[in-house]
Amino acid sequence: MNRITWAVAALLAVVFFLSIGHTEQVAKPEPAPEGRIRITYWEKWTNFEEQAMREVVNKFNESQDKYFVDMLSVSGITNKVLLSTSGGIPPDVAGLFGAQMAQYGALGLARPLDDLIERDGIRAEDYIPAYWEMGRYEDRHIAFPSTPATTALHYNAADWRAGGFDPDNPPKTLEEFDKIAFALNKKTADGKLQKAGFLPNEPGWWNFGFGALFGAKYWDGGDKLLLNSPEMIEAYEWVQKYHREIGPGAVSNFKGGLGTFDSPQNGFMSGTVSSVLQGVWMANFIQMHNPDLDWRAAPFPHPASKPEMEGFTFVDMDILIIPRGAKNVEGAWEFIKYVQSQEGMELLCTGQAKHTPLVKVSDEFWANHKNPQIKLFHAQAFNEAAFAPVKLSMWPEIQGEMNAVYEAISGPELVNVTERLNRAQERLQPLLEKELRIRRAREAMAKENGA
Amino acid sequence: MKKASKETIAGLAFASPWIIGFCVFLAYPLLQALYLSLTDYNTLNAPVWVGFDNYIDLFKDELFHKSLVNTFSFAAFSLPLSMIFGISLALLLNNQVKGLSLYRAIFYVPSLVPMISLAMLWLWLFNGDYGIINIALKGIGISNPPLWLSDANWSKPALVVMSLWGVGNAMVIYLAGLQNVPVSLYESAELDGAGPFRKIWLVTLPLLSPVIQFNLIMGIIGSLQVFALPYVMFPGGAPDRATYFFAMYLWDSAFVNQRMGYASAMGWVMFLMIFALTMVSIKLSDKGVHYS
Amino acid sequence: MAKPQSLSTRQMLQTAGIHAVLILLSVAFVFPLLWMLSTAIKPLDETMVNPPQWIPSEFQWGNFQEAFNYNSDTLGYSPFLQYGLNTIALTLLIVAGTVISNALVGYSFACLKWPGREVAFGLTLATMMVPFPVLMVPLFDLFQRFGWVGTFRPLWVPAFFGSAFSIYLLRQFFRSIPNELSEAARIDGCSEWRIFWQIIAPLSKPALAVVALFSFNGAWNDFIGPLLYLQDQKSFTLALGLQAYQSQAGGTPWNLLMAASLIVLGPVLILFFFAQRLFIQGIAVTGIKG
Repeated sequence: MNRITWAVAALLAVVFFLSIGHTEQVAKPEPAPEGRIRITYWEKWTNFEEQAMREVVNKFNESQDKYFVDMLSVSGITNKVLLSTSGGIPPDVAGLFGAQMAQYGALGLARPLDDLIERDGIRAEDYIPAYWEMGRYEDRHIAFPSTPATTALHYNAADWRAGGFDPDNPPKTLEEFDKIAFALNKKTADGKLQKAGFLPNEPGWWNFGFGALFGAKYWDGGDKLLLNSPEMIEAYEWVQKYHREIGPGAVSNFKGGLGTFDSPQNGFMSGTVSSVLQGVWMANFIQMHNPDLDWRAAPFPHPASKPEMEGFTFVDMDILIIPRGAKNVEGAWEFIKYVQSQEGMELLCTGQAKHTPLVKVSDEFWANHKNPQIKLFHAQAFNEAAFAPVKLSMWPEIQGEMNAVYEAISGPELVNVTERLNRAQERLQPLLEKELRIRRAREAMAKENGA
Repeated sequence: MKKASKETIAGLAFASPWIIGFCVFLAYPLLQALYLSLTDYNTLNAPVWVGFDNYIDLFKDELFHKSLVNTFSFAAFSLPLSMIFGISLALLLNNQVKGLSLYRAIFYVPSLVPMISLAMLWLWLFNGDYGIINIALKGIGISNPPLWLSDANWSKPALVVMSLWGVGNAMVIYLAGLQNVPVSLYESAELDGAGPFRKIWLVTLPLLSPVIQFNLIMGIIGSLQVFALPYVMFPGGAPDRATYFFAMYLWDSAFVNQRMGYASAMGWVMFLMIFALTMVSIKLSDKGVHYS
Repeated sequence: MAKPQSLSTRQMLQTAGIHAVLILLSVAFVFPLLWMLSTAIKPLDETMVNPPQWIPSEFQWGNFQEAFNYNSDTLGYSPFLQYGLNTIALTLLIVAGTVISNALVGYSFACLKWPGREVAFGLTLATMMVPFPVLMVPLFDLFQRFGWVGTFRPLWVPAFFGSAFSIYLLRQFFRSIPNELSEAARIDGCSEWRIFWQIIAPLSKPALAVVALFSFNGAWNDFIGPLLYLQDQKSFTLALGLQAYQSQAGGTPWNLLMAASLIVLGPVLILFFFAQRLFIQGIAVTGIKG
């Protein structure tokens, strides 16, 4: 080989070893400040929600001389936490989804916290019962809220007034509400929808959940799913009414024309959809994209035949857990406790524009909050009719199936609701039975090993 | 005899990185997955032996059937179309036209664009009211064009069209293959009075056949494992699971529903199906493949 | 026989026809890039409008700079630079590993005879048919036992042990190289290494370029791998970093995301332009034959 070839080869070799050096060096985590223990914390949020959490972390770090929380924003967090926990190298704290609590519980992902709760005197009475309850799985407390959520009907007051409806006197029942919604639909001569009074699938985040509005339970708590109960059928027939009234094609074309959620072209913020089901965070986005919008929020109307459903809301929360096998349980717990303190929680929930899961609220929190109706959302969480994620580890699968039910019964063929729900029930019931069978087998195995 | 054994030693030496890599990074995890497919397993808890239960359940699973039908019908259209399209593009580019390198880069670009950007773009191109595709269709007198992505009957064809856009990778392989076709063969065919199409048929395609076979096999494997784009564009296979493909169901089973054992069984069933199909296509296409 | 003149008219028509088809197709193919560009220089509130707005009301070239410096303040370093450096280092390692190992293995499968070769090749093909999610958990477990999680090693070390796709691709190419050349060399007493290095490798530049290009593109854009194995934010790659522009509940600054995507796309595009020269060189080399 001639000299040039050798020179090129040598250069490549140098680059090669430099690359190895770089990758080895950069992957080493930064050490915690002198004399402090590093607590790794993985969080799912990005953007302003992440910033809000980061502020809380900074506050905590300033207050500490023992622990130092290193927060990392992680995408695809559930898988990553699961894989690293099974590999024995989990983060010390993980910020996960409340809707999947039962799954985490059934997997044994989270370390039960009852001993620490008792030792340090954390009290259930300090929490809105729904949020305390959501942290529990089968008699054990495994998660604490990071931020909570509830939903309500959001409506465009100007639109309602223009249609002859009083925005200061929102309807209590679905029947009254349907009339308003239908009256506010605007169509062109050739059947195109220009403006919608209300669409159950805008934004489409709760397509699985309308059964709950009619009081349907998804699971009897034992070995039976209740996906084709009379309440469920009634609920999706109510949904289908909207798509039949407007025309399924017109709805999907209209929806395709709406901008993404977080944009000024969002259906509600642009004034194209007069009323939506939305959560506590909505006010913040309205302020960002269309601060002049004249809007109100009220509890979502309930079916007239079901007065017990008054004040219906989807209640949900983001959670903090300590994964099984975490190295620094004490430090992790110290951080979680700080987030649970009124100071930490209000800082976080102000930044994320949500209400607090705690019963006690400071006056500054109410006064400074970005959502003018924040008290409504806080109060919603206390309602008896509030619907929390079902505590069944196959809940995500049920949600998926119910979303598919929604699509089928609202599609071009307007599939028969009862038949489609029967199929959903038939498909998932055996899966539940299998899950319970395996769980019993596992419990028996554990008992044998214990004995 | 001596020569043969020397060649054997050389052969094994040259192949040794792969032999190690195969055993450690593929065979071991694959066998692990085979074992897991006979258990109930969820990453965090020790597997519980269930025998062939997962496989039996699979054959009764309505959603599994649906995802299989979706996957195979997508592949049946997307594969032949993208092969024809890819070869045609490569042949067009193989003419010594001006601006060749620019064209080549342009056709390759969509294969480089990040998935998220592609998905967003397609979502509005196919929109029933505002999408450019339907505006064009209305322009040529089709008054009632399909709703594409929100119509369960049309979302798959739309996905086939999208897959044609990603033909750049295959095209680059064809082009590299075409470089191996000696110019002299064209010249002699031309002297024999062959026109452009006969030249392609008699000279180019036979010499390109190993590469075509390669792309055929990769196409079968790729289209039956279609995952990323529909997963980003159609959460849950919407509308009504018309675009719920096999690999999506597998992913959901493993990482959303936490049924690793079941997902492993699905993986093995799919693996065997693709394997059988590939072997058949290799056997069938080998007759037409020309090695020098 | 056609007269020379009419032949050249025919050729001109043919060329014009080819150009017409190519231009038409180019327009369709260049669409996503134009759209990305148009989005990248828009104000945020024009990004998601229906009907789409192609020409921004105001050209915000500053978006590129903003995308580049995104989050720099909170992190205390420029993530884009940091991630870029990580990605370059990682990609170099992967491309080097892929080209070296697969050229060797491909040569073995294509040009050398050894017992069990066909079975081994069948197995190689088979590995491509395994749906990846199935391997994810056992693999993670394996790397965890090596103590490699949280380092770059799970991402690049396997590249040095061959990959089925590239082996198959190179085998197909090597097999189409006439074996008279290597046979002659063998009779002259050349070692297999010299045959590979001095005859096969130079003849296979286009194919090796394709393998390099694909592995570059794959490594540059790989998302799942870094997502699974990297833990410290400082060690992230660009593809993973792009996620920072997306939020769970929407909140995506689309214009910045597209500007960042274009910056990420740039090097791959440039590389492709240069790699083309290798394909063209290939003509000169293989053209000698016949």
